[in-house]
Amino acid sequence: MDKDNEKLEQNKQEKAVSFFRKALFTGFFGGVFWSFIGFVASFFNFTSYSPATFILRSWLTTAWTDGWLGELISIFVIGLLSMGTAAIFYFFMKTVEGIWPSAIFGIALWFLVFYLLHPIFPTVPQMTRLDSDTVVTTICLFLLYGTFIGYSISYNYQDAQRAGGKNYSKDS
Amino acid sequence: MNKQKQPKKKPTISSNLKDNQRFMEEKVGVGTSFDVGFRQLTILKKEIQLYYLTGLCETPTIVELLKKLTDINETYPASAGRNKHKLTEIIGSHLVHQQVTKVDTMDEAVDQMLSGLIVIFMEDESEAFIVDVRTYPGRSPEEPDTEKVVRGSRDGFTENIIENTALTRRRIRDERLRHEMIKVGERSKTDICISYLQDVADHGLVKLIKDELKHIEIDGISMADKTIEEFLVKQGFNPFPLVRYTERPDVASTHLLEGHVLIMVDTSPSMIITPTTFFHHVQHAEEYRQSPAIGTFVRWVRFLGIFASVFLLPFWLVLVMEPDHLPAMLQFIGPNEEGNVPVVLQLIIADIGIEFLRMAAIHTPTPLSTAMGLIAAVLIGQIAIDVGLFSAEVILYVSICAIGSFATPSYELSIANKLSRMLLIIITSIFGVKGMVIGFTIYILALSLTKSLNTPYLWPFIPFNAKAMKQIIFRVSVPLTKDRPSIVHPRNNYKQPTGKH
Repeated sequence: MDKDNEKLEQNKQEKAVSFFRKALFTGFFGGVFWSFIGFVASFFNFTSYSPATFILRSWLTTAWTDGWLGELISIFVIGLLSMGTAAIFYFFMKTVEGIWPSAIFGIALWFLVFYLLHPIFPTVPQMTRLDSDTVVTTICLFLLYGTFIGYSISYNYQDAQRAGGKNYSKDS
Repeated sequence: MNKQKQPKKKPTISSNLKDNQRFMEEKVGVGTSFDVGFRQLTILKKEIQLYYLTGLCETPTIVELLKKLTDINETYPASAGRNKHKLTEIIGSHLVHQQVTKVDTMDEAVDQMLSGLIVIFMEDESEAFIVDVRTYPGRSPEEPDTEKVVRGSRDGFTENIIENTALTRRRIRDERLRHEMIKVGERSKTDICISYLQDVADHGLVKLIKDELKHIEIDGISMADKTIEEFLVKQGFNPFPLVRYTERPDVASTHLLEGHVLIMVDTSPSMIITPTTFFHHVQHAEEYRQSPAIGTFVRWVRFLGIFASVFLLPFWLVLVMEPDHLPAMLQFIGPNEEGNVPVVLQLIIADIGIEFLRMAAIHTPTPLSTAMGLIAAVLIGQIAIDVGLFSAEVILYVSICAIGSFATPSYELSIANKLSRMLLIIITSIFGVKGMVIGFTIYILALSLTKSLNTPYLWPFIPFNAKAMKQIIFRVSVPLTKDRPSIVHPRNNYKQPTGKH
């Protein structure tokens, strides 16, 4: 029994160090995954703006930014930027419970990108002038993106905090 | 259940045989019920009575027991009065069987007799002998229909819980493997076995399952595992399977070693694996019978099939409804001519048509189902196109979806996905692109909100766990899999005892 406890203790220390790294990786993966989905959505014109529209075309006008290379680089850059998102969530919101705060976090990010940060992206029109398909698709994407990053970080954090024997319950 | 039992005094076995006989006649229906057998013998000038269930006993064993009992009269001189007082001992030593127990309450004796054991009452004794001579009607282990593999063991669980525990024990000879029996059902008294590795499985989970099972109050559970599942998890209107079933002992053992808790219910060959996530339903034993590369390939193709079974139809519908969304290179997609029936109706009718076939195939005898397949393929499909009811493309995509459903290893998941697909088609047909995007989002959100025994259903995708996700996306070779999955909260994390520790 003593040996068990000792091991648990070790586990905890290890986790405290690597939590943040895990959160950053979650951010990176989430950024790459959901911006790839965003790219697919833009390929089928469900949204008029692809990842490259934001990341590259705002300040580059060369032709290659329109091709798949531009998208690939943009997806990678969004992955890196998402590590920042993950860090913000980790520092301020990791103790929130459930999915909804993360979902709202995602929608808040949407407003941040399309409204507050709008001046940075000259290629994207004002929020009010976006077509409805684009608005719906991008909000849904940001919602899932926020849920993915936020819920993953808060769940993993809280799961490690829970005492043994309380991991399972019948309710919800 | 407990409240009622405690105040009621349990009838004890009377030393007067007549009392016992009356009890058996009144309560158990000896003489009325055809399947309850009764035999009276005189041993050393004392009466003994045997009660048994005709259908569940092994006759040769009983005959052997009777022989030994009647031999007593010859071996022991009846004149020696002291032998009369040692009747219990003498009879006990002549019951040649490894499983002999003594009971002193009528309830216990009757319970055991109705499970197929033989009960022996003796004159002037307030105890009864119980001998385990039962043999249950059942089949021998055979490969389960729903989980076939090309290579690998061909045995499968049966309806007999004793055999099932034996099949598991054959694979895990660990002294720390626990098979705990609980009886559920006031009338059916069904045996339920909770299996887990004592030093690996989460104690909270074991306790939770035991508590839940002990508090089940029901007369009988004829539908065995399914009924237990409904008591164990909160299903509500959620169509997705919240526990995984398996009929393969190797799959069951793998999960035990990972730290899962299994529930076996007597009379059912399906084991319940807890805790379960969505991704438990999309894996198959076959992937682990091939090399990692092949296993990964098979798994990706399977994922593609499952993915198509949910998303393909609504997606295609959107492209048909709003063709301007199609990129230039995919312009050929979509029906060339306007059909007579709206595409969404075609999709729904065709999908329901396949559902007809699937349901009919379950209970149609094999000789007839060949004819049925012919009718379905040639007549319905081709002629529906010829008369202009369906366009050819509808048939194509609905068929891909159907095959995708069949490629889903979990039957329960494939049906739940079918239902989701229907809803997605309907919402897409009403709201177009927005409907589809919102529909997909709700599908993923709903799955992430689902919890089975407080385990997030979409783990390790949402919430994300890189290590476990790697195990899902790639079929990692076993030597490289050193850790148990964190979702079972293993008390002992390392799968390979001599490895990293």
